[in-house]
Amino acid sequence: MSPDDTEQAPPRWTRKDLLGLEELTREEILHLLDTARGFSEISTRSIKKAPALRGKVVLNLFFEPSTRTKSSFSLAAQRLSADLVDIIKEASSATKGESLVDTGKNLQAMGVDIVIVRHQQAGAPHLLARALDASVINAGDGTHEHPTQGLLDIFTMREKFGDLAGKKIALVGDITHSRVARSNIWGLRKLGVEVGVIGPRTLVPGAFKELGVNIHYHMDEVLGHYDVFNILRIQLERQRRGMFPSVREYHHLYGIDQKRLAKMKPGVLIMHPGPINRGVEISHEVADGENSVILQQVSNGLAVRMAALVLTQSAREARP
Amino acid sequence: MDGILIQGGRVVDPHNGIDAEADVLLLDDKVAAVARMTEADVRNNHRGLERLQILNARGLVVAPGLIDLRVHVGEPGRDAEETIASAAQTALHGGFTTIAVMPDTDPPLDNVAGALFVQRQGERAGFAQVLPVCALTRSRAGEELCEIGQLVEAGAVAFSDEQRPADAPGAILRGMSYVSMFDKPVIEVAQDPGLAGGAMNAGYEAALAGVPGIASVAEELMVARACMFARETGCHYHAALLTTRNAVRAVKRARKLGVRVTGETCAHYLALTDAEVRKAYDTNLKVFPPLRTADDIAWLKRGLAEGVIDCISSGHRGVAPQDKELEFGAAPFGAVGLETTLGVALTHLVGTGTLSLSQALAKLTINPARVLRLHTRKGSLTPGSDADVALIDPGHTWTVAPDSLFSLRKNSPLLGARLTGRARAVIARGRLHATTQGL
Repeated sequence: MSPDDTEQAPPRWTRKDLLGLEELTREEILHLLDTARGFSEISTRSIKKAPALRGKVVLNLFFEPSTRTKSSFSLAAQRLSADLVDIIKEASSATKGESLVDTGKNLQAMGVDIVIVRHQQAGAPHLLARALDASVINAGDGTHEHPTQGLLDIFTMREKFGDLAGKKIALVGDITHSRVARSNIWGLRKLGVEVGVIGPRTLVPGAFKELGVNIHYHMDEVLGHYDVFNILRIQLERQRRGMFPSVREYHHLYGIDQKRLAKMKPGVLIMHPGPINRGVEISHEVADGENSVILQQVSNGLAVRMAALVLTQSAREARP
Repeated sequence: MDGILIQGGRVVDPHNGIDAEADVLLLDDKVAAVARMTEADVRNNHRGLERLQILNARGLVVAPGLIDLRVHVGEPGRDAEETIASAAQTALHGGFTTIAVMPDTDPPLDNVAGALFVQRQGERAGFAQVLPVCALTRSRAGEELCEIGQLVEAGAVAFSDEQRPADAPGAILRGMSYVSMFDKPVIEVAQDPGLAGGAMNAGYEAALAGVPGIASVAEELMVARACMFARETGCHYHAALLTTRNAVRAVKRARKLGVRVTGETCAHYLALTDAEVRKAYDTNLKVFPPLRTADDIAWLKRGLAEGVIDCISSGHRGVAPQDKELEFGAAPFGAVGLETTLGVALTHLVGTGTLSLSQALAKLTINPARVLRLHTRKGSLTPGSDADVALIDPGHTWTVAPDSLFSLRKNSPLLGARLTGRARAVIARGRLHATTQGL
């Protein structure tokens, strides 16, 4: 027996929180995705339950409206047999109402084990994670990160392509204000994947070049280059704030329709984190077409979130 | 008559070009002499002396008391954050014997009663001398001018509206024109309000942090414009809070053209970058203007070395812990700095060879004295000046921590940093005060 065999392998996940993909290593990302693969099978059973979090309390603490992410986390927690509490709040200001830290501490005092937080301020989950003993999972903080969305996007790409080595992934749209884009970029770059961002210059931070990301302002020039187009939702409020001239011009330059799809690689994947503006960033036909994996993304979200819940909770309990 | 004889220190008095071992004699509240002298010399020469205190300053730097021309107090209006007395006492611990307080109080310092109140509270506290910078326009709203002439008579040392909610170029131009009659500086906080709505420096780090950015061009624009106004009016424009490469260059260009402009930066802009901000969204690092990049720091240092930046201030602003324990975007701007400014200057400017000790101390003594027109009585050890002295231990290395700070509020962006150099004691108008370091 070699000496190595007598030593226990170090745990592959030691984080009590999941705050972003920037701080994860390649190995941690792959471990979480592998764990998720195990959970994706549960959704196909007739009784969709596992006991991993029995007796644990999961709290959805949402300061921003969300349908998809909140229900996905809720279902993930319920399938793991956890008790679930939902709190939807208006964010408090500095001068009135209870602070985020106080809210978190109060709920922790009621025995919450995992806090899933969505907040319009970048860094809010980090603040909470420092203040609480409970696990904190970032369900989207401002325009910073949305790690489980990034992970489920990568999970979906790997499901279709297997290894992503040599693949090229494009993110299209409002990159500046997209937490999904940042989590995708960090995750994919750590896996060694070529990443490009496509959008109007006013919505694409030039600084991302320093992360080794390709920057394109003219989508038609690169339609044949990428294997995946992950299309981000364009918020109409940005137009009013002068970030782009009109929805019509945006659709003209960056809308994915059948004509543009025809110029892409044959097996190209069309992704979208939702909710979709049909006819704006993506046409009706493309959204429902055979290259679209938009609904698979949603299904995979459950498995990825189950993995995130279980891994962070095990790490928290393993702490001395 | 009472006296203090400070013996055996390294006297550094930039204004008089002194950097040598010497003794400093203070009589009552004035400097009497800087020379080699014994206790017997002093007693022989000053027969009326009732009490003579001897301080052994061997190993210490003996400098004019430091002058901070940018301190924010919460009094009146938010005195739970910081009072005039608490700021003036904290100042002594940082080596400052004179502080100018900014008019962004509630109500703002835009009238004679306010100006007198600040000075009276300072006198009552009996720590560092407190001088008011008064508002340029009523309520700092950028419309009607304050009663500048009467404010000057009431002790206002400079005029500033600080950051206004909206741009008011007409008011600044008229204000500079009016103030120029009284030979006082106008201090402009140079961030275009339309471009400065974010929470950290715009650029790579903000893009990754997902935090709205404050573009450096917002500063360059306003500095360049204020330089033009100074050229048009002949008013002395003091460019406070210089933090960017291009704002430094704008001041440098204006100076070359003969415009009356002086420059200032705060210590924390020399020690920290926006990369620190992104690491943990630490709200103690949320200051206005925001912490910039390493390139900007290099230009600030260059500006300091070339004399484009004349003064280093603390920009001290105490913030209550419950207000800083918020989301980064929601927390207020502000950092305490009275106790770390000297250490940053000695560590990041003298320690790196950017400035000599005398050059660095000039930016904390005689230069701010000149900007505020105090130089005939403060900022040097010229006999007859106010007996304001800082005794500095230049080799003392310390870690900035809540416990190592005297200040009421502990919102220092430098918590955890190691600094070399700290005040051991100060004498403020003839009164000896030991700091937390002790003598």
